[in-house]
Amino acid sequence: MINKEKIKKLECDVIVVGSGGSGSSAAQAVAESGLNVIVISKDPLASSDTKICEGVMTVREAGDENDSEEELANNIKLAGGDLPDKKITEAFAKDSKIAYDRLRENGLRPSINKIRSTPKTLAIAMGGHNRSRSVGHKNSGLSFGHVNWDTIIKFKNIEYYEDCWFLDIVKNTSDESVVGGVAYDACNGKLLSIKAKAVIIAAGGLSTLFFPKTDTMRGNTGDSYAIGIRAGAALVDMEQIQFLPFCLASPPSYEGLLAGEPATGSFLGVIRDKYNKVILDSVYLRTRAECSEAIMRAVADGRGSPNGGAFLDMTANKKAKRSGKFFMEYLKSALPTAYNNARQALGKEAGKAEVPWEVRPSAHYMMGGIKVDEYGKALSFSTKLNKIKNIKGFYAAGQAMGGLFGSNRLGSTSLTEVAVFGYRAGNDAAKHVKKNKSKIDDSYFESHHRNFFKLFNDDGKFKAYNLKLDLQRKSWKYIGAARNKKDLLAMQNYLNELDEKVKNILVKEDMSWNQQLIEKIELQNMILSAKAVTLASINRDFSLGGHVRLDGKRKKIFSKPFSTLILMEAYNKLKIEKIERERTNFKTVLKYKINELYRLYIAKFIRILPDFLKDRIIEGKYKKILGSKAKLIEIQAGSLEAAPAEINR
Amino acid sequence: MEAETLKVRIKLFRDKKSYEVEYIYKKKFLDERPMILDVLLQAQEEKIDDLSFRYGCRARNCGICTVDINGKPRLACRARVKADDLISPLSTLPVIKDLIVKRDGIPRQMIGYNKIPSKNNLNVEADVPYHNLTACIECYACLDGCPLHKKNNLDIKDNNNAYPFGNPFSFLKLQRLYIDPLTPEEEKRGIIQKAKSLGLETYRREYKDLKIKCGVGINLKDEVIKPLLEVAFGDQIEKKNK
Ligand SMILES: Cc1cc2nc3c(=O)[nH]c(=O)nc-3n(C[C@H](O)[C@H](O)[C@H](O)COP(=O)(O)OP(=O)(O)OC[C@H]3O[C@@H](n4cnc5c(N)ncnc54)[C@H](O)[C@@H]3O)c2cc1C
Ligand code: SF4
Ligand code: FES
Repeated sequence: MINKEKIKKLECDVIVVGSGGSGSSAAQAVAESGLNVIVISKDPLASSDTKICEGVMTVREAGDENDSEEELANNIKLAGGDLPDKKITEAFAKDSKIAYDRLRENGLRPSINKIRSTPKTLAIAMGGHNRSRSVGHKNSGLSFGHVNWDTIIKFKNIEYYEDCWFLDIVKNTSDESVVGGVAYDACNGKLLSIKAKAVIIAAGGLSTLFFPKTDTMRGNTGDSYAIGIRAGAALVDMEQIQFLPFCLASPPSYEGLLAGEPATGSFLGVIRDKYNKVILDSVYLRTRAECSEAIMRAVADGRGSPNGGAFLDMTANKKAKRSGKFFMEYLKSALPTAYNNARQALGKEAGKAEVPWEVRPSAHYMMGGIKVDEYGKALSFSTKLNKIKNIKGFYAAGQAMGGLFGSNRLGSTSLTEVAVFGYRAGNDAAKHVKKNKSKIDDSYFESHHRNFFKLFNDDGKFKAYNLKLDLQRKSWKYIGAARNKKDLLAMQNYLNELDEKVKNILVKEDMSWNQQLIEKIELQNMILSAKAVTLASINRDFSLGGHVRLDGKRKKIFSKPFSTLILMEAYNKLKIEKIERERTNFKTVLKYKINELYRLYIAKFIRILPDFLKDRIIEGKYKKILGSKAKLIEIQAGSLEAAPAEINR
Repeated sequence: MEAETLKVRIKLFRDKKSYEVEYIYKKKFLDERPMILDVLLQAQEEKIDDLSFRYGCRARNCGICTVDINGKPRLACRARVKADDLISPLSTLPVIKDLIVKRDGIPRQMIGYNKIPSKNNLNVEADVPYHNLTACIECYACLDGCPLHKKNNLDIKDNNNAYPFGNPFSFLKLQRLYIDPLTPEEEKRGIIQKAKSLGLETYRREYKDLKIKCGVGINLKDEVIKPLLEVAFGDQIEKKNK
């Protein structure tokens, strides 16, 4: 029953859920407009994927004057299989530079290309980019973590609550507009009941569904999508999960963590199966999806490595007489945290790239998400009217939103996404609130309070944590990097059964940091998200994007592109719609394809040259890439030096 | 012969009482060298389903999994287990449940500490000392042994107030802002003012005996405290540590 003493009532103009990159950008935009913000975050302030990422960000024109807005927008759209929403990719291309400068104003300090007076870009274009436009940062994501932390702390009109699980958006039941939200404040043992005219969901992704086969933060339990669909939004492209190809398969403490990217495979890196046969060459020019697919197909055919992956073989890079030492310098500096993970997990020889690395795809990023427009407004879809409508006061940004990347996200674009769309959503939310002067009635909150206290169940039989673990195992098997129809249908049944078990979960009546309660809340969100992924995957019956359909064909380049939309019909019951997407014109596709083939052809040509010649050419390339030696910082995030505790023990 | 199991003790805190339980970790293979986090995850799966602890990245980056191991702060995700280890919550912050401590009294000290900078030329590089400080993952290991933080009253935990006295982390934040090439001179005075109001004076008095250690190996005495003392009080301190 409702325990009034345990409810804490709050009021503000805008609630921002999440304190990662999109949350802090959103909060900044609202705060700058003079309104009051409450930031709710289940992890401590700014602890998020944004803080632990590789810190490489796409900034248009940083590496190449000819990098027009159109060029960048097209690159994303084509890489995404024409699924991306045109207006959203255009907004991305338009704002990437301003968004980056805003981060710099807040304290992000990149290296500078002194000749061009721009931030310095990474040596090799990240997988799939047709221009050099990825800017790396010392201490990787941590540098972004500091900036986000500082941004939220800086404004007196931002209040923040960490250790709080946002549960649901509260709406006015007559006109469907947002009137606030409810959250579980675990440290203080309270239910926060917050009135606000706008809510921005910036709560990240769902990769924890695949734990431990993931490199993301524990908190990615699909909360964004579950909260979104329960509040009436449509979810777009939910089958499109990005699996990073080169993650660690063992030992257990390192399982799932990032080891490298296609680009770090460098000029001579290849993927091999367990029979030592090359299954993909020119790795550095491939997209993440192509690499993951090659590995998962090998695994499905029984040609996989002992821990269900394949081998990333970079030994040829290392062996080359002249260029070998440059390669090592490149490998260590391009993605330091990833390199450190691999070095520590796989040992010294592997650290020197003298033996192939065992790698396996890991869930990394959800490309689909809450359907929004280019201002971050969340959208619902009415099948009857065949109409898209916005839900007043409801916004989503960052990984929580869908529509930007379609079926493949290019490396380093997410940090830009969060900075661009977090700010856009914040801006628009502020405008919305300023226009709306109506008073918010208490009555809309009552059913939410009741639902919260119903979560407790002293005689429950099942343990939420163990159900969660089981769901994670099943998710990898049935909706992981390789899928087929039979498995997808099995997953649907499994999820329905799990729904029944959830009704019978043990949650002791205790408000103070109740781990059983937390696990249950997250499990429910994971189930709902998994349902959306499964239903969308059934309808995407050919291979496109992040995962392979083992029983389907490959997408033909001239077929009509469509996106999936998942809607909530009745409580916890989902249904699917398909929406058509505009196909990029033939000329642009052709240009893009020719460019891609040309680069692959050159790579192949270099590979078959006699060794000494090849070595010289590659040496020249490295010299150009690595340039004059940058000053190294003393402690690199994730390195052994950064862990005195581990060394001393 | 390697053992197949590892016994540890975990300190739980429930209903205002604190007590120890034993957990026997089953190795996944004989020469596995698990981390403390692996033990906690297995304990939650096998025995204590409501075991409360924090973790995020499993890779020494998010800074939230810090616990005391045999009385010293360590990152659970990167601390190898030894038989008979005692895992307890951080002793430097108020315990809420099991291994969960309330952290937000620290960041709240800094609300409003940085003003929005004027629009400078952004194409300026920061020096190495600046970037050495962004290596901080906010793990709060440096609260251990801090003479200033010790003065804070940890009993009050049912509110969201800031602690009045500072710590190496809060000074690191200030020093980072101070040496940021884009910080205007007027703001620098404010930063030193803030450092003083958090109790920098105590560090000055106790500098010689100050034993603070950073969880990721940042040289806090030389790179944070010393330069702050120098600008705040005009002190000249010899470089001692590495
Ligand atoms: C290892 C790794 C490396 C990466 N490298 C790069 C890179 O180099 N370049 C790039 O562009 N991208 C990279 N990415 C991707 C990128 O980091 C993320 O996609 C991006 O940071 C997501 O930002 P976000 O703000 O949407 O979510 P997050 O940064 O994940 O923030 C989510 C926030 O929501 C909170 N939250 C979640 N659920 C709730 C809830 N129910 N209630 C309250 N709060 C909640 C969390 O506590 C957190 O504060 C990388 C990701 C990983 C994991
Ligand atoms: S200064 Fe070091 S010990 Fe202190 S919070 Fe930062 S990383 Fe942790
Ligand atoms: S779990 Fe992130 S630092 Fe340990």
